[in-house]
Amino acid sequence: MRAPFLLAVLFALGGCASVEFHHLPPETPAADNAANIAKAKSLAAAELAAKQAAAAKGAGEANAAEEVPLYTPADAPPLTTYDPWARLNRFTYRFNARFDEALFLPVANDYRRLPSPLRSGVHNFFGNLAEVDTIINYTLQGRLGRTVRSMGRFVINSTAGIGGLLDVAAKLHLAKAPTGFGTTLAKWGMHPGLYLVIPFYGPSTLREGIGLAADYGTVYYINLADLYRGGQSWGLGVTNAIDQRANTDFRYYASGSPFEYEQIRFLYVRKLLIQDAGLHKREPPPRPNPNLPAGE
Amino acid sequence: MKALVLAALAVLFSCDTALADRPPLPPPAAPGPPTGLADSAALRATVFGTPPQDIAPLPQKVPLLEMDLALPWARPVPAIFWFDKRLRVWLSAQDRPAPLAIVISGTGSDGNTAKLSTLRAVLYGAGYHVLTMPSPTFPGFIVSASRTGVAGDLEQDGQDLYDAMVQIIHHLPRKVVVTDIDVLGYSLGGSNAAIVKSIDATEHKLHVHRALMINPPVSLFASVGRLDKLFAITLGHGDAGIEQFYQQLYATLANIYRASDRVELDEDFLLGAAASVLKTDAQFSAAIALTFRLALSNVFFAGDLYSGAGVVIDPRHPPRVGDSLEAISRELRGKSFAEYFTRIFAPYYMKRRPGSTPETLIAQNRLEIIGDALRGDPDYYAQTNSDDLILDAAELAWLKATLGARIVVYDHGGHLGNLGDRRQAADMLQMLGGRWGGAAP
Repeated sequence: MRAPFLLAVLFALGGCASVEFHHLPPETPAADNAANIAKAKSLAAAELAAKQAAAAKGAGEANAAEEVPLYTPADAPPLTTYDPWARLNRFTYRFNARFDEALFLPVANDYRRLPSPLRSGVHNFFGNLAEVDTIINYTLQGRLGRTVRSMGRFVINSTAGIGGLLDVAAKLHLAKAPTGFGTTLAKWGMHPGLYLVIPFYGPSTLREGIGLAADYGTVYYINLADLYRGGQSWGLGVTNAIDQRANTDFRYYASGSPFEYEQIRFLYVRKLLIQDAGLHKREPPPRPNPNLPAGE
Repeated sequence: MKALVLAALAVLFSCDTALADRPPLPPPAAPGPPTGLADSAALRATVFGTPPQDIAPLPQKVPLLEMDLALPWARPVPAIFWFDKRLRVWLSAQDRPAPLAIVISGTGSDGNTAKLSTLRAVLYGAGYHVLTMPSPTFPGFIVSASRTGVAGDLEQDGQDLYDAMVQIIHHLPRKVVVTDIDVLGYSLGGSNAAIVKSIDATEHKLHVHRALMINPPVSLFASVGRLDKLFAITLGHGDAGIEQFYQQLYATLANIYRASDRVELDEDFLLGAAASVLKTDAQFSAAIALTFRLALSNVFFAGDLYSGAGVVIDPRHPPRVGDSLEAISRELRGKSFAEYFTRIFAPYYMKRRPGSTPETLIAQNRLEIIGDALRGDPDYYAQTNSDDLILDAAELAWLKATLGARIVVYDHGGHLGNLGDRRQAADMLQMLGGRWGGAAP
C-alpha cells in the first residue's frame, strides 16, 4: 500500500505522468471493411427484393388479414423509464463497470487473441447448446415454424457441424434466431417491468431477469450431455461468459459521460419495447399511458 | 449511422416533463448564412459517412496498445467522474523506426472512434506509428488533462493537449523509435492540431513537423452557433419538437421491425432500417443537431461543475456518485452552446484574463490567431468540403486565401462525409509526407 503511494507522490513532485499499458487485440480493418461492403450489398439486395415483392403483390391485392397495424408517433412510450430501484441499479452498474475493467474485459481481450477458427468453434458450440432452450421457448410462444427451424439447426449443427463447432445450418440459410423465456413472457403479454441491472450481466428488466433465471433452470434441468452439472459445468459456464463478452462490442464509460447510466437504460428499454411490438404484429399498438413510465 | 440514431435517441432520455420554453439566446457569433444546411447531399453524407466501398485500401492488421495516463497537473477528480481519472490514448506502433502521426478526435469524441480507427488504419498502412487522442472537449480529457475544466478555448485546450502529448511521448514504449512527428485532426481536432503545432513552434518540446486540419472550423463559436441554429430550426427551443422527433423515430423503427422477419433488433437491423428512419432534410438536420447537443451536455456539465457557475449544478451540493442525474440532464437538453458561452465559458475566462470581453474571447477562438503561421509556414495543410455545414462562404474563402495551395476543397462530403475515402486518404498521405503538389485540376 505504501510503495504505490510513495511512487505516486514522487511522480507528482517530479511533474511526471504515470502510465498503464493495456495490450489490445489487433484491429483487422481490411476484413472489417470487406464485411461492411458485403453487408451493404446484401442490405441493398434485400431492399430491392422487398420492393419487387411489394410491387408484384400490388397494393390493391393486399390481404387485409395480413396487414400489420401501423405504429403512429402517439404510440411511442413516454420518455421516462420505470426504474424504482435506481439507487441499487446504479450501484450495480458501477460494480459491473469496475469488474469489467479489472477482470472481465482484459480476459476477454486475451481470449480475442486466440485464432479466429478456434473462437468461432467455441462460439458456435455454445450457440448450438442454446438451441435447446430456443426450441422449448418457440414452442411455448406458439411459433411452431420457428421451433422446427431451430430443431433443424440443432440437428444439422450437432451432426454435420461436428457437435456444434461449425454453423453449417447458417450456410444452408437457416440463420441463428435465439429466443428465451423473457421473450416467451413478452409473447404472453407481460410488460418488461422495472429496470434491473444484474450483477456481472448488465442491463435487464424484471421480466428479462425472470426469463434469464428460467433459461438457466431449463438447461440445468435438461442437462444435455451432462454438461450442466458437475465440475466441468463451471469451466463451461466461465468459457461461455468470456465468449459472450468477447463478442460484445461495449466498454463501460467509453462515452466518458456522467449520463451513461441513463442513456443505456433509455436505449435498452426502448429496444425491448420495439422487440415486444414485433411479437404482436397483428395487434394494434398498445396506446401508452402518459402517466406511466416506459416498461411499467 | 446506428451510432448516430442511437445517440440522437439517447439525448432524449429522462425528459418526462415538459420544460417551459426558454427565451432563445443569440449565438455569440454566427455571421452569414450556413453554406450547407439546405443541401440534402451534404446532410446525408454527414450522417451516413463514407460508404465502405469508397474507403481507401486498408491493412490486414493494425496492432493496438492502450495507454492510460495520470497527468501531474490534473485537477482533483470530482467523485461523479470517478471513471475518467486517467487520460486514455491509443498507440499503433510499427516494429521499425517510423514517423509518428498524432491524430486528434472531433468535438466531444474520445480517442478511439470509428473515424479515428479508419485514419489509424490508413496511416499505419502507410508506415506511420499512430497515436490517437480524444478531443479536449471529451469528458475523459476534461477530467484527466484539462487545467481548467472549462473546455472550448482554443489556446488553453491546445496547451493542455500539447503538454499531454509531451508526457505521452516521454512514456512511449522503448521499442517505439520515432523519426518525425506530425499532428492532424478532424473537425475541431483539426483546429486543435494546428494550434498544437503553433505552440510547439515556441516551446520546441515535440518538434512537430507537419500539421493537417481535416474539415476544421475557422471559428468554433460561429460553427457551433450554426449548429445551435440548426437545433432551433428543426427542434425548437422547448421539449415539444424533441419529443415529436423521438416519437417519429420510435414509430418508424417499430413499424419497420414489425414488418420485418427479424427476431432481434440488432446492429444489422438498424443498418437496414437507417435509410427509412431518417427521410427528410429536416430529420437529417435534427439528428445532426441532437447528436451535437448530446456532446455539448457533457461539456456543459463538466464546465459548470469545475467552474462552480451554478447553472445546473449547485456548487455547494454537487451530485455524488449514485445520485440520479435525470433532472440535470433534462435541463441540459434545453441548453444551447450560446448559453454555455454566456453563463460558463465567458465569465470563467473573463475572470482569468483581465481586460477580456465576450467579443475578445470570441476573437481569440478563431483560427486567425495563428493566421500568420498558417500563411507563412509551408507545413500547415487542410482538407475540407465546399458543402461542409460548419463553414460559411467567408470562412471557406479565408481558409483558401490563407493556405493557398496547401488546402484541398472537395466538391461534396458535407462534414466528414468523405473521411477515409480513396482521394481524401491519398491526399492526406501526400500532405503529411511533404509530397503535396496542389489539388488536381
